[in-house]
Amino acid sequence: MTVARGHARRGAAIAFLSPAMAVIVLFVAVPIALTFWISLHDWSMYTPLTQMTWRGLGNYADLLHSDDFLNALGNTLVYVVLVLVTTVPLALALGMLLYFPKTAGKAAARAALFSTYVIPTVAIAIVWGALYAPDYGPISQALGALGIDSPAWLSDPETALLSLVIFHVWQMTGYYTILVIAGLTQIPDDVYEAARIDGAGFWRQTFSVTLPLLRRTTTFIVLIAAINAIQVFDPVYILTQGGPAESTTVLSYAIQRAAFQNGMAGQASAMAFSLLLVLVAVAGVVLAAMRRRTAAEGRS
Amino acid sequence: MRTVGAISLGAVLALALAGCGGSADNGAAGGPQTISFLTHWGPEQVTALKAAAAAFHTKNPDVTVDIRAVPFANLLSTLRTQGASPNGPTIAGIYDLWLPELVRDGLAAPAPSGVAADVKAGWPGNMVDDVTKQGQVRGYPNEVDLYALNYNKKLFAEAGIPAPPKTWDELKADAAKLTKRDGGKVTQQGFGLITSWASGAVHPWLSLVNSNGGQLLDGSTPKLDDPKVVAAAQLYADLIKSGATQPSMSSANANTTGPYLDNFVNGKTGMIIMANWWQSALKQAMGDRYSDVGVAPVPVGPDGTASAGVSYSWLTMVNGKASPAKQDAAWKFLQFLNGPESGKGGSSAMGDILMSMGILPSRTSDLTAHKADLSDPFIAAYVAELPNAKPFPTVLGGEAMSQAVQKHIENIVFGKETAQQAMTAAQSEVAGILAKAGA
Repeated sequence: MTVARGHARRGAAIAFLSPAMAVIVLFVAVPIALTFWISLHDWSMYTPLTQMTWRGLGNYADLLHSDDFLNALGNTLVYVVLVLVTTVPLALALGMLLYFPKTAGKAAARAALFSTYVIPTVAIAIVWGALYAPDYGPISQALGALGIDSPAWLSDPETALLSLVIFHVWQMTGYYTILVIAGLTQIPDDVYEAARIDGAGFWRQTFSVTLPLLRRTTTFIVLIAAINAIQVFDPVYILTQGGPAESTTVLSYAIQRAAFQNGMAGQASAMAFSLLLVLVAVAGVVLAAMRRRTAAEGRS
Repeated sequence: MRTVGAISLGAVLALALAGCGGSADNGAAGGPQTISFLTHWGPEQVTALKAAAAAFHTKNPDVTVDIRAVPFANLLSTLRTQGASPNGPTIAGIYDLWLPELVRDGLAAPAPSGVAADVKAGWPGNMVDDVTKQGQVRGYPNEVDLYALNYNKKLFAEAGIPAPPKTWDELKADAAKLTKRDGGKVTQQGFGLITSWASGAVHPWLSLVNSNGGQLLDGSTPKLDDPKVVAAAQLYADLIKSGATQPSMSSANANTTGPYLDNFVNGKTGMIIMANWWQSALKQAMGDRYSDVGVAPVPVGPDGTASAGVSYSWLTMVNGKASPAKQDAAWKFLQFLNGPESGKGGSSAMGDILMSMGILPSRTSDLTAHKADLSDPFIAAYVAELPNAKPFPTVLGGEAMSQAVQKHIENIVFGKETAQQAMTAAQSEVAGILAKAGA
């Protein structure tokens, strides 16, 4: 009877899990495996997969000696770091500002912040291209009116990547702010009440109650923000095409250019697979740090 | 786990079958054929192309032509992802730089003898050479573009310059006169460059190289370290150092618009080297001020003997992976589309479509049929330069080569490399790219 029930349960588990597993295998595992397989070949994409030329790990070896790949990797790293150090503190501050004060218009402010995330990137990138126009663009004009010499934004290798970071921060902060607000709703009021009874003021409550109890949310935001930043493509493609002087060539753009413009799908796949490894490593580090912290707190 | 393994294996097999299958069109050998035409043209030109397809269908009821339009930016990626599939495009309009790779991988079919003879009889020799690879004609030449010096006549008059520069020395002198400053800031540049766009950066620069007696490639050997080539890079460095060229006014975006265009149309750039196709953009953006635009040959360098702007072309090719019956139908349609009976007044329908965009057709009889339209001073100056133009080299790895040269030109523009350093590095990089591509 027990054995029969066990078989039945296993059968049910298989029946319920199979559709989801099939989708995961088909749309996640297979493309990843295929990408790795292509990365071991030379392939222009004009021929069937069966006619690819075997290169072994040659594409990966080429990447290690490619200044262009290392430049793209470096640009991506700078972009990610700038996005994280700007977006996460800003989202936390805005989230608390929009959650704690009992003021009217909070819902409207949240909607306005979130709207930047909803607007398609392609459409809004074109608008930002016009805003960033050197000398005659609105931002340069406004700075000029204040007596400030405006940088050339996207037209200068020194500021082009930073300009894309500003665009990213403008677009994504609202989304992360909403996540912070969602996290804040999970902190019980009585914790703050206890803190106040103990004499904790605003700053003490922020650093000893709010931020520690938001740690899981913050970890999630850091992870998502890092992944989103690593995968940045649309604004680069639309606004700068990786220029000027390769200053905004990030990995995702380099992958697209290698595969679709230069017909080097093998090299592009090697870059894509390397990017996947970077993403996995970043996620692993963040999650491991979170687990260590949680385990340490469990012991104390 | 066994179930998971079975599902995984099934999915892998399904994908492998999808990926590996259908390398060729398995359409019926005879009977009615439906062929497709992939283009990057806009709605107005697509409508004209559909009308030509309908006229062809009336005369050839067994052949139906479906028109598929994608944005220019997606044209190459569409070809790469769909070209080899059973439902891939039968005909495609392509940039000539893509042709060597398409020929190598069997996508650009050789033209039948009748079509090849038609092309050889109807087009100038340099255009026929451009579409001939591995000794065979690979399609019908269509659009031809070339580079010349565009200048603002009003700014020239204000600066007291009577005529456009003919030599590099005159170019530098005129650029200096055209440059205006407000305090330390340049508000009007004498000579404009284009950055963040491979063709925009490389073609104008190579036009100066050609006009100095240099060349990008000798066969498939890069010549970037030739002093005649380095001189053109040094010209850029000199113009930037003098302030007559402002790097911040040079950038382009994915729509091939941006500050470089805005500055010229707003009278903030005195001169720029650009191709004839941007006439419609100038007309649209400048309105009445379009009459200020003058066109002149690319100035000749100290080692050059004649102006020689870069030219490039587009062609329509037939997919070599399609079935023989579809290929036959496709060539038949292209012969009609490019023939003198399909358009108006002796022009081909293709010639009419190109002229509707302000683009130069390449068929000799089309140039004659559109003589009146081509007498417009802007276009006429380009037509006059057509015999002197040097085609951009079309070799395997051409796109990557172009991007490498762009990078080093931009390094000069933004002061990251000297002219000599940039050309030495570009020489080595391009040699590696071409060797890897098998050029």
